[in-house]
Amino acid sequence: MAKTIIDAHNVSKTFNPKTVPVHAVQNVHLHIEEGEFIALVGPSGSGKSTLLNMMGGLDEPTAGTVFIDGVEITKLSENKLIDFRLHNIGFVFQSFNLIPVLTAKENVGFVLQLQHMSKKEREKRVLNLLKEVGLEDKINSKPGELSGGQQQRVAVARALASKPKIILADEPTANLDSKAAANLLDIMAKLNKEEKITFLFSTHDQRVIKKARRVITLVDGKIDSDVEQSPT
Amino acid sequence: MLFQIAWRNIWRNASRSLVVISSIIIGIWAGIFILSFSWGLYKNNINESVYRQLSHIQIHHPTFGYEKDSKFTIQNTDAILKQFQSDGRIASVSARVIATGMITSPTTASGVNIYGIHPPSEITQIALNQSIKKGTYFESGKDNAILIGEKLAKKLKIKLKSKVVLTFTNVNTDIVSAAFRVGGIYRSKNSSLDEVNVYVPQNHLRELLELKPSESNEIAILIKDELQLEAIKNDCKTLVSNAKIEDWKELSPELSLIIESFNLYTYIISGLILLALTFGIINTMLMSVLERIRELGMLMAIGLNKRKIFIMIMLETMYLTVLGCPIGLLFGWLTVSVLGKIGINISMFSEGLASYGFSSMIYPELDQEKYIIIVTMCLVTAILSAIYPAYKALQLNPSEAIRKI
Repeated sequence: MAKTIIDAHNVSKTFNPKTVPVHAVQNVHLHIEEGEFIALVGPSGSGKSTLLNMMGGLDEPTAGTVFIDGVEITKLSENKLIDFRLHNIGFVFQSFNLIPVLTAKENVGFVLQLQHMSKKEREKRVLNLLKEVGLEDKINSKPGELSGGQQQRVAVARALASKPKIILADEPTANLDSKAAANLLDIMAKLNKEEKITFLFSTHDQRVIKKARRVITLVDGKIDSDVEQSPT
Repeated sequence: MLFQIAWRNIWRNASRSLVVISSIIIGIWAGIFILSFSWGLYKNNINESVYRQLSHIQIHHPTFGYEKDSKFTIQNTDAILKQFQSDGRIASVSARVIATGMITSPTTASGVNIYGIHPPSEITQIALNQSIKKGTYFESGKDNAILIGEKLAKKLKIKLKSKVVLTFTNVNTDIVSAAFRVGGIYRSKNSSLDEVNVYVPQNHLRELLELKPSESNEIAILIKDELQLEAIKNDCKTLVSNAKIEDWKELSPELSLIIESFNLYTYIISGLILLALTFGIINTMLMSVLERIRELGMLMAIGLNKRKIFIMIMLETMYLTVLGCPIGLLFGWLTVSVLGKIGINISMFSEGLASYGFSSMIYPELDQEKYIIIVTMCLVTAILSAIYPAYKALQLNPSEAIRKI
């Protein structure tokens, strides 16, 4: 039996509870196992990003509990949570993913440096990761010198760097053209298959949805459907 | 890594960083200039007072100071003077006979301090000969020659060679009047004293006062090294018994007051400059933090804790300051070095300043300690002004920060 990575119970998030309450996520139960490749879909405002943020410990649920690899992150203090994210969760955002003043190599190595990995070991791992995402010739380029797709691939490499339990990606292909999006997805799918890394990504993109093996649909902050499919 | 990121961050918006660096440079330069100028101003004032009027040390009979009565004298001044003259630490020494009385011209009269001086001694003591504007410095050798200030001459409506009468009481409390002829008119840097001090040959005044030949009312000493002041004062006590020995600070408490108030003004002005600098830095760093909200959110999301975010923002400010400080110091030091040699001519204000004992050339000067104070104040200002923007960055919630456009 596969190991449980995310276990969310009855999670809700209400913004502005005292003034004009907005129920972004309501009573969501979510169970994700190691090695899954899941697309979180739904119309704009359905609560995808909010749910993703709560799964990653970026947002605190108004109610409910979130366990990641057996640790109840909803009970962790702010600093412990930051540290937990550093070691256990990789993030890929829609934009503003990279540190603009650092090169691709330095961006990927940044989290490893925060984990106090030795320079030699770090360099080796960073080069491997950038090779895996097909950017071995761009290691010294700064984000401004890379295309949107290349930037997202560096972000994926960085998310992978700390060997996280799960990678959370919030609309990673939203700003990419079809070719770059397909390329990014192929890399993510390959990593998922070969390295058993769990991916949970929110998306509108049909191409992304088709690649997923499980599709969770959110409507008005609630899970509308949760289906397994064969990726194409 | 944080050092590297902070360093590169400040060059993301080079022109903005250069504005902050420039303001730090100007702040430090202005601080140094104001301090050195003020210090030059009061050093000038001290020098004018010490070298043209007070000397470093004055010795009087213990009760002379209160009443300025000529009968309170120091005995055996010739022997004492010889002793002082043989002391290598002493630059110059002179004895004076002093009386207070009235000077009367054909038209009017005025109260004066009458100094009986040994003319050659006062050349080295207070450079009185250099202040002569009309006539000569006792070159006639006549006993009845008198030197009066330009301001007093104007008041008495007298000219060179005019006859004046001095009236005072001698040691036997008899009223004495003696006629003098104006041999020279002087103008010192302290116009208020020019109105009240007159100088006559010492021996003649001594006779008129009926003092013994070796009696004097005042011994003034100029020393070579100010650091020796206390030691020499102590030696004076053993050499001249039953006397009041005072240094220039005790003789002129108002001088200390002027210096203290200048010090206060200086710190207030420097404080105001630094306050402006503080707001400049806060504004720039706050802007820099606010436009990077999403990036800071991302950094927090991927595992950079708030302590490190805080350090990063502080480092950015520190870099700007560390870049600006040496340049500001260099400019300040150059300004002080050049102006310290050529001087600043403030003659347009000199009339007012002269009445307070200032000359019209100011030579800015600053000791090392003040440079250190300015740099420290600037660094402290920079750190303090970085705290608010850094604190603002700490308030960010990563998910909210990422959502912000």
